Amino acid sequence: MDYPLWDIAIGGSMLMALVAVTHVIVSHFAIGGGLVIAVTETLAVRRGDHEMRELARRSSFMLILVSTVFGAISGVGIWVVAGLISPSAITALIRNYVWGWAIEWVFFIVEIVAALVYFATWDKVSKRVHVMIGWIYFIAAYLSLVIINGIVTFMLTPGKWLETGAFWDGFFNPTYWPSLVLRTGITLIMATAFMLLPATRATVEARPRLARYLGLWLVAGALISYGGYRWWEAALPETVQALFMGTSPALTALAGTRSFLMWAVAATLALAVVFLLLLPKTARVPVAILVMLAGFSFFGGYERLREGTRKPFLIHDFMFSNGIRVDEISKLNEKGVLSKARWAAHQAGDDTIDQGRAVFRAQCASCHTLEGYQGINALLPDDPDMIMGVLFALWEQGEAYTSLEPGQPVDKAALDYPYMPPFVGTEDELAALAEYLGEVSGSGTAVAMREEQ
Amino acid sequence: MGENLVAAVDPTPIPGPAWLFHVLLVFTFILHAIFMNLTLGGTLIAAFAQMVSGGRSEDPRAVLARRLMGINTYGISLAITTGIAPLLFVQVLYQQYFYSATILIAWVWLFFLVLLMVGYYAVYVYKYKSVPAGRGGAGWLGFAALMFLLIAMVHVAVNLIHSQPDKWAAIAANPWSILGDAAYFPRLVHFVLAALGFTALVAVWWAVRQASVGKDVELNTAIARHAWRWALWTTVIQVADGFLLLFVLPKNVLLGVMQGGLATLGPLTVSILLAIGLLMMMAKVSNPVEKAGAVNGTLGAMILTIAVMSITRHQVRELYLEPFSSQYTIATAPQWGNFILFALLLVAGLATVGYMVRQVLGNRATGDEAA
Repeated sequence: MDYPLWDIAIGGSMLMALVAVTHVIVSHFAIGGGLVIAVTETLAVRRGDHEMRELARRSSFMLILVSTVFGAISGVGIWVVAGLISPSAITALIRNYVWGWAIEWVFFIVEIVAALVYFATWDKVSKRVHVMIGWIYFIAAYLSLVIINGIVTFMLTPGKWLETGAFWDGFFNPTYWPSLVLRTGITLIMATAFMLLPATRATVEARPRLARYLGLWLVAGALISYGGYRWWEAALPETVQALFMGTSPALTALAGTRSFLMWAVAATLALAVVFLLLLPKTARVPVAILVMLAGFSFFGGYERLREGTRKPFLIHDFMFSNGIRVDEISKLNEKGVLSKARWAAHQAGDDTIDQGRAVFRAQCASCHTLEGYQGINALLPDDPDMIMGVLFALWEQGEAYTSLEPGQPVDKAALDYPYMPPFVGTEDELAALAEYLGEVSGSGTAVAMREEQ
Repeated sequence: MGENLVAAVDPTPIPGPAWLFHVLLVFTFILHAIFMNLTLGGTLIAAFAQMVSGGRSEDPRAVLARRLMGINTYGISLAITTGIAPLLFVQVLYQQYFYSATILIAWVWLFFLVLLMVGYYAVYVYKYKSVPAGRGGAGWLGFAALMFLLIAMVHVAVNLIHSQPDKWAAIAANPWSILGDAAYFPRLVHFVLAALGFTALVAVWWAVRQASVGKDVELNTAIARHAWRWALWTTVIQVADGFLLLFVLPKNVLLGVMQGGLATLGPLTVSILLAIGLLMMMAKVSNPVEKAGAVNGTLGAMILTIAVMSITRHQVRELYLEPFSSQYTIATAPQWGNFILFALLLVAGLATVGYMVRQVLGNRATGDEAA
């Protein structure tokens, strides 16, 4: 919030979701594909199986085209978008985990070089060496997951880091291992989903055999993913579980996402068993597309759920999605949020509406647009008193955070607006925001109405 | 200095002393610059060479284009991969400047990823469609070159914006105003010429190596002569542009360079001497194939020039930002254990890369294994 403000119609969070989900699909394929391709070539060489080797070769071309281009660039894209929409959060993350990212970069170098060498040396080096390079690729790719998984899970469950600030306390946080198992399963699903396409180009005789072979990987991926997912759920703090689990979840939309991803993983498993193991002759392009849809739905659903359970935080119990830190609430309530938001204040005029707009841009614009994604206009109540009431409730919600001991999680299910960061600022700023929102919604303002009375 | 729009320094300490991140930033930028130069320079030269070859696939210039782009499908990947580290370290040291600059031209900054992706895929189309089909592919190359040139423009803009916070209010009002910065075009030209000169020398070096083992001597001689001319003339213009770039620097920055003693004048003097030395070496040689030693020396000197200029570039940024950065100190809380782990893994990673290359070179497929 201390940075210039980027007004984007689709919303920063939607843009991040688009870039991140497409990236993780490809990056998980890059990892799982590495394993399946390495195993496939190893078996093909041992058995003298030409068709299996061709499957590995074709898949490696796909790996190069999809992973080293789209995957690498979209990975940079996540950083680019994060820097544009959440510079404060990415700063906090980088300052804590720069060595983690630097280590991941080392694995990434090895991974990319191995991928390029592997692809460029088909039939140009001995099979033994070629297989070995395939395995080096997979090991480097998997190690990059081992690292990035620590940073991603830290954002949801920072664990003891909140008390100690220690790198490894945050890295090996409560959801680290479940998430690693879950993502390992997902890498296999993604690998199979992509590799089914080159498998359809095999000879008619070989196709069922390759389909059955990939079906076994898909079954393994679906089962490991499901087990990892349930472990991940169990490792979440009870206050987070209460949001989307149990008989009366606090957030029904999030509970719906949970059901959706459960169905998606079940569908993935069913497709693997029916079309790849029992009826492998049917494993043509339509089946490959169905597997992709089911696998992507499961993965996308999980990512949506993970992001949803993290709200209203960027780093749980530490920094809200608008870049305000939990430990800043009291200070900003006293000094005003515009004392921190230099750009919003710089671009604002002096009257109340302008000040309200500045407060909106500083605190709300990271999630809400005016008319587009999460458009505030459509969400505002008609009654200006209700706008004021919501803002007051959000202001008071700040106490739920300031009263916590370090490391103590907030009970989100007990909040009126568990998805929303508290309103932070002075009474004047709150009134200005209410006035601005009243103007935006066209419902007049609570302050003006009171004055009329 | 006008209104200070620089974000407050994040209270979280950085996990190592600042000097370490400065060293890592410069070191990894040099690595990135090598592959980035190959990407930009290689694609520009290849596009031009393909165009003037008249579509004759055996023309030395068309062969040069194929060679350069044969490397580039890998070189671009490595340019992206090596670019990640300086992007990481710049965010450690300059986050309040860097993020603000990128947000001020957010769409343009985001768009560079699209340019990179379509440029990269255009290179693949050239390599896997145009070349096997015997078609020229100058269009695809020209398109890719344009994309990479636009990316250079975006990066020069971000660099100049992030180092001049006193211009942010004006840039927020009109982002295109950065194109009017006195240093913008000299700086852009400086980077493009470096890319062309370096890539041309790599092409010469390769052709000379091929010719020295008796492979297509006539063809390689022609390629070496052609690329040598690229290297010579881009370096001539580069020396002039380098001085222009120096004198369009803001006064306080120029004075900072001149009064910085050995720390700033040392690298600057070395790079100027290297550039002039490069010119003299190149002017003396008319047929590079006959002067393999001079070619090796010239390429080595060019790499050294890029490395030293990267240090000067970093120092100039520090001088630009000095009025702002002198107002605060960054807290540090070194994580030495993690740094040592990173350093060890970096050594192990590079050793693994070396091992792979050795294995590939020493285990060529024979008999049934060869395609």
